[in-house]
Amino acid sequence: MKISFTAAALPEEGAVAVAVFEGKQLSPAAKELDDRSGGTLSRALAADRFSGKAGQSLLVLAPAGLKLDRVVLLGVGKEDAVDDAALRGFGGAAVAAVQSSGETTLNLLVKDFSAAQVAQIAVGGMLRSYRFDRYFTQMKKDEKPSLKKLVLVCADVSAAKHAFAPLEAAGEGVFLTRDLVSEPANVATPDAMVEAAKSLEKLGVTVEVLNEKHMRKLGMGALLGVGQGSDQPSYLVVMRWQGAKDKDAAPLALVGKGVCFDTGGISIKPAAGMEEMKYDMAGAGAVIGAMKALAGRKAQANVVGVVGLVENMPSGTAQRPGDVVTSMSGQTIEVINTDAEGRLVLADALWYTKETFKPAAMVDLATLTGAMVIALGNEYGGLFSNDDDLAKALTAAGDTVGEPLWRLPMGEAYDKQIKSDIADMKNVGGREGGSITAAQFLKRFVGETPWAHLDIAGMAWTKKDLPVCPKGATAYGVRLLDRLVADVYED
Amino acid sequence: MRLTFLAPEAQAPCSGVVVLGAAQATAFAEVCRTLGFQGEEGEVLTLLAPPRPLSRVLVVGLGAATPDAPALRRIGGAIAVALQPLAGGVVRVDLGLSGEAAAELAYGLLLRSYRPLRKYRTVADPDDPYATPGPQVIEIVTAHPAQAERAFARHDAVARGVFLARDLSNEPANILGPDAFAERAGLLRTAGVRVEELDPDTVPLPLLATVGRASAQKPRLVVLHWDGAQDRSQRPLVLVGKGLTFDAGGIDIKPAAGMEEMKGDMAGAAAVMGAVLAAALRQAASPVVGILAIAENMIGGNAMRPGDVVTSHSGQTVEIMDTDAEGRLVLADALSWACATFKPRAVVDIATLTGSVVRLLGHHHAGLVSNDDRLAARLTELAASTDEPLWRLPLVAGCDEYLRSPLADLRSCTWETVPDVDIAARFLWHFVGKGVAWAHLDIAGTSDCAEDWPLCPKGTTGFGVRLLDALVGD
Repeated sequence: MKISFTAAALPEEGAVAVAVFEGKQLSPAAKELDDRSGGTLSRALAADRFSGKAGQSLLVLAPAGLKLDRVVLLGVGKEDAVDDAALRGFGGAAVAAVQSSGETTLNLLVKDFSAAQVAQIAVGGMLRSYRFDRYFTQMKKDEKPSLKKLVLVCADVSAAKHAFAPLEAAGEGVFLTRDLVSEPANVATPDAMVEAAKSLEKLGVTVEVLNEKHMRKLGMGALLGVGQGSDQPSYLVVMRWQGAKDKDAAPLALVGKGVCFDTGGISIKPAAGMEEMKYDMAGAGAVIGAMKALAGRKAQANVVGVVGLVENMPSGTAQRPGDVVTSMSGQTIEVINTDAEGRLVLADALWYTKETFKPAAMVDLATLTGAMVIALGNEYGGLFSNDDDLAKALTAAGDTVGEPLWRLPMGEAYDKQIKSDIADMKNVGGREGGSITAAQFLKRFVGETPWAHLDIAGMAWTKKDLPVCPKGATAYGVRLLDRLVADVYED
Repeated sequence: MRLTFLAPEAQAPCSGVVVLGAAQATAFAEVCRTLGFQGEEGEVLTLLAPPRPLSRVLVVGLGAATPDAPALRRIGGAIAVALQPLAGGVVRVDLGLSGEAAAELAYGLLLRSYRPLRKYRTVADPDDPYATPGPQVIEIVTAHPAQAERAFARHDAVARGVFLARDLSNEPANILGPDAFAERAGLLRTAGVRVEELDPDTVPLPLLATVGRASAQKPRLVVLHWDGAQDRSQRPLVLVGKGLTFDAGGIDIKPAAGMEEMKGDMAGAAAVMGAVLAAALRQAASPVVGILAIAENMIGGNAMRPGDVVTSHSGQTVEIMDTDAEGRLVLADALSWACATFKPRAVVDIATLTGSVVRLLGHHHAGLVSNDDRLAARLTELAASTDEPLWRLPLVAGCDEYLRSPLADLRSCTWETVPDVDIAARFLWHFVGKGVAWAHLDIAGTSDCAEDWPLCPKGTTGFGVRLLDALVGD
């Protein structure tokens, strides 16, 4: 879908969408349209329960007095409290309302909004327009999305374009991540993920790939143990974006869990729902997408993205419960449950990142624990951190872009739960506080570096349509990380 | 055990059992060095054969030159553990502490010296750490004994509330059923608390009545009034406790393994009772109302069924999904009644409510959900200073989608895979009066500890009493 901005007059034909404030209050553009139609829209409004609350929509087909085929009235909430989330929702809902209607162009009449607000509306539309339908070979024409163009009719075209550019770059990152996360595990293999990372080279990202031989030499026994049951090779991929004026400035490091498929290994998962485990690489997917976003908008910051790519399979060569592995840090780990593998991958990835890049801060993303889904559901990502400032900055960035985080506690008492009888630690600490003990495990591999761990197990995938995301892969984290860099780490 | 404070000059010559700080134990400096004593916080070196007339010397590490209040309480706890093997007698403690510091140390010592119920053991177990009675009197030396006495008086009152809550949660359900629980609440009258007992059928409190109706003992709402020693005109703080004296789960019966722990499903109500007792004992200035929603959730021919629809006290109808999600039902009626009856300055409910809070926070934080940022911030702050940690969790409006019933105004829970801790809290929110500042404490993971805590031996913790007492304030 192509997005453009124009200052042209109200279109005469096709589909248009306008904003309505809470209490059935027409926005100025909607009012103008209403006047032109001789009050048709007001009549439609009066007859419906639609009140203009954020998220509500009312489709008016072929309104009398206008030549337009359809007018979509979209609620954006109270007039004096329209926030960015409502604006993105406005753009998203407008696209959703006409995407498969047969219309090819949708005009959003938004000239009474500021350029920054128009950009938010546009990115909402962009994010919602995402489709992953490449495996439907028999789809009928009328089921396919028809919408090709989204036109924002606004007051200041160049200002709106300028404000939209960085958001669009983030959107491109989101789309890459959603593609990677949506792909089944026979397609998005570790090799394919490596290729996806390499595709960022043309944007100026330096990509380095460590294969199993390299990793063995470095002593990454924790990561390698996870992949040893699979026929697919394991990798650690490093992506560097050196956008800061001072190329030697300590970078922000983003670390992602990339378990391309997670059967659980010998501690195998139940069959029901196992297909969802194709998205157990969503953390790595988000890091790759965030790197694309940052390079795409030429962020003035040094950022390094590191992803550990493995497949967790049961086989004759697979890791067993009870195995003791030595991580790159030298710390030994008793593998109690082979299905708690994400933290093993991250342990070596975090330690390698810390040692190699001496980063200013590290943020890891992972679909790490089922307990997270049981705890925060699909409303918040879990945030764990050893640094209050970093935690606050992440929470603020999440609120700004609509990818909310909720901080959870850490502490010595939880750390005790992962004491092992045979090694320095074990990889599970019991059911209780399961997300917290996983974070405690990771903390043992970050040294003194300011660090945050985002457990996105409940956020990487949505089973229902969201305002700015159709059901499926969400790419949760990409816009949040992009925003974090913009807020804190840019020159 | 009795705790007293002495001025240094009032000391009789040292004899018997003494507990000394490294600075006071100059005579033992050499021994301490030889035995590798580091002086770390709570480190205790026990010398069993000191020169006469001393019979036992404990050298205690303070960690820092001037430990803060939580550290002092933990050090007190460590001393309590070290003194456990004594069989009576007087112990002198001299750590060179100020009056305030001595009171904090004494508080920790007292809390940790709680003795779990042993009355059902007819034959003493020689391996039981509680086989010996511990010291009879502990004298703490401080330069300001009067100041220490004053500060400790409040702590002592609160500790009695904590012990009451621990005892109650520990009692088996055949001893502490709804009748006995209400009777025990009645005993608070001797401390000056007004106690009212309401029949859920006559109020009416239909959800409470429904949950308790399969039991042989009637459910009830017990209301504890502490009117405040000074300012009776103030609006009260209302504390609401879940008091399921036993929770079999009802028709949706629980699995057999671990069901015995359900005798402690009244720990919320026990904490409320403990907090009101503490307020009365220390003559708290401001008014408090404690509400105990007491019932036993059993199986029977007249038990509530999954799918039953009940009109709650608030008028909202509730479709009962899982009969084992009963805590939120009794609390819903109690909250709604409390908001309608009193004009509370705030309402705090406390309950062993969900397994999901344990999955999330484990045993080291209780969950806090609130509709009021100021109340939440105040509670979190007090939680840290009273060693009863809370972690705030979101009040999720999105849960309403899962609470929607095709038949009634609300469902009690959902079978969808959404976090029950959020669902339960959001359900309760629907029964809190408009504009009332409310907080919900889910203590399912903290009402009981599987290992010794610094201020509590393994077992029931009385979690919430100290926190709620601090919220009552003066």
